[in-house]
Amino acid sequence: MTTHTETPEAAPIVELIGVTKDYPLGKLTVPALRGIDLAIARGDFIAIAGPSGSGKTTLLNLVGCVDVPTAGAVRIGGQTTGELKETQLTSLRLHKLGFIFQTFNLVGVLNVFQNIELPLLLQGGLSKTERERRVAEMIEKVDLTPQTRQRPNELSGGQRQRVAIARALVTRPAIVMADEPTANLDSGTGGAIIELMKEINRVDHTTFIFSTHDAHVMSHARRLVELVDGRIVSDRAPDRQAQPEGA
Amino acid sequence: MGMYLTIASRNLRQGGRRTVLLMLALALVTGLLVFLLALSRGVNVSMTRAATTLSAGHVNVAGFYKATPEDAAPIIQGVAAIKKIAVENTPNLDYALDRHRGWAKVVSETSSVWCGLHGIDVREEKALFETITLAHQDAYVEGGRHAVIGDAQRLSEPDTILLFASQAKRLGVQVGDQLTLRTETLRGQSNTADVTVVAVAEDLGLMSSWAAFLPKQTILKLYGLKPDTSGAVQLYLKDIDEAPAVMAHLREVFADAGYALMDHDPQPFFMKFETVIGQDWTGQKLDLTIWRDEVSFLTWVLTAIDTVSYLLIAILAILIAIGIMNALYIAVRERTQEVGTLRAIGMGRRQVLGMFVLEALLLGLVATTAGATLSAIGALIIDWIAVPIPWPAAQAIFMNDTIRLVVEPAHLAAAIVAFTFVTGISALWPAMRAARLPPITAIHQTE
Repeated sequence: MTTHTETPEAAPIVELIGVTKDYPLGKLTVPALRGIDLAIARGDFIAIAGPSGSGKTTLLNLVGCVDVPTAGAVRIGGQTTGELKETQLTSLRLHKLGFIFQTFNLVGVLNVFQNIELPLLLQGGLSKTERERRVAEMIEKVDLTPQTRQRPNELSGGQRQRVAIARALVTRPAIVMADEPTANLDSGTGGAIIELMKEINRVDHTTFIFSTHDAHVMSHARRLVELVDGRIVSDRAPDRQAQPEGA
Repeated sequence: MGMYLTIASRNLRQGGRRTVLLMLALALVTGLLVFLLALSRGVNVSMTRAATTLSAGHVNVAGFYKATPEDAAPIIQGVAAIKKIAVENTPNLDYALDRHRGWAKVVSETSSVWCGLHGIDVREEKALFETITLAHQDAYVEGGRHAVIGDAQRLSEPDTILLFASQAKRLGVQVGDQLTLRTETLRGQSNTADVTVVAVAEDLGLMSSWAAFLPKQTILKLYGLKPDTSGAVQLYLKDIDEAPAVMAHLREVFADAGYALMDHDPQPFFMKFETVIGQDWTGQKLDLTIWRDEVSFLTWVLTAIDTVSYLLIAILAILIAIGIMNALYIAVRERTQEVGTLRAIGMGRRQVLGMFVLEALLLGLVATTAGATLSAIGALIIDWIAVPIPWPAAQAIFMNDTIRLVVEPAHLAAAIVAFTFVTGISALWPAMRAARLPPITAIHQTE
């Protein structure tokens, strides 16, 4: 097992130590992750790659505090998630983490503005004016100003994913997890989404952890972790030849 | 809160037919409750009107006189002094009067009925003549004219009587006919008096079937009583709700003035004979009551209406609650991914619970408000057009010959609050189920 960081001087923002995750399937136990050790530095832009069933989503779930490991420890900003209560995990997700889902997972009855505003409302503490300013800023950043009052079903796939990115970023989280963010998009739109994520990573130093099986998308990462059967089989810089204009 | 309301209202709209059906059911049950409460209140109002017109004041100073321990007569002596004390010590008094009480067999040429006699002075009885309406002749005489015959003011003449339509019909008499009253005096002698029917009034429910009005002099003559006697001093207050407090106050006043008082017994005077006859005292004791005591034998009607109403509503509420639970349970299942997403982006369990309960409360509030409002409007219209009750038995029970519906704003509010609360409570279980959904369900489908 190898671990790799490009900024070894910085304390890792995410650490997985000997993490195992098993799922019960009737009388059987299906291992999804087996003894994962991984450290991710603040501001990293890391791709988790691997075939279907390799454990990418499980890994993201554990880092995203929506699931707990069967064995081992997951640390986010120095806090071991397994030791936190449900309310603390909720607070961690709300304040430090952002999620981008493969299927966008927007709230269908809310418009673009309201979907993006939702995490800020959950956080509380901001005035209405400040909240609206932050949301408008994010909408502008993801280039959706004309669609502000539209509902998800009135948007294209790329536009929906931009809303999801804006929703994940509006709280200014330290870490954003994206589960196959381009899987449901055409290559042009997918490329634009990755560019947007890279831009935010570059400007705001937000840590991005995203899963993919698209070699072209992988090539944009600063670091590539490959999983096979729940184990890390490689942890390296991606092959830049697959990337037309370089990361 | 604004965001939750937006999510709730839009999800309800998206619910389509399911939301409409739930709202319809809630609106119907709330409307039914409002209607039944209006009916109960209407009967209550009719009963109050009938009781305070026919047989009682808001507060009554009556009593019993016992010449020997073995007898009892429902009369008070020295009525002028008693009335003076009562009037001077009753706060917010509207007016006062006294009536004689009697019980006699009323005999016509073809039939007879037992009847409670009320000896009145027409000059004191302004409210009585404002409340009762003289009946058309065809209401008590077969083939009679559709016109009012007679004049209630003629009760100022001696030996006259005012009957109610059902009595006139049973006795087969009309205005101008002669009747004979037959009773026993206090000394146990039979006595009779001939009276002329001068007016026939429309029925006032069950109570009017055994009440008749005569001049005081006729009662005095029939029973052989002295002029300074009466049956009861009836006090009418500006606010009927003050009656219990006024009665309590007057009990102290009369006790201080040296009058002997019976213990308060919330029953009509004619149900107290047995008790009073069995008591070992002679002379006079005052008996103070409020109007409700004098019609306590009729409160079963209200109790029955209320019991049936609440039973029916309770059954419907349970069915509605099951419907809401089921609908929300389905909604939670349909929105599993949404709930998981919200949990994943930082919504707490309590907020998820609150979101679903708020949705149910919103549904409940809108539906119950609509149901209660429409039902209230319907009740007001029915009351306004005075829908007749065709069956005499039903008229007797409902104390009126038309459907009387009285809508109280408090009842509207109570119905809305109660069913909105039921809706909220019904939502708790599916909402808790939603709150317990692990956030991983949002991402589960992607791999």
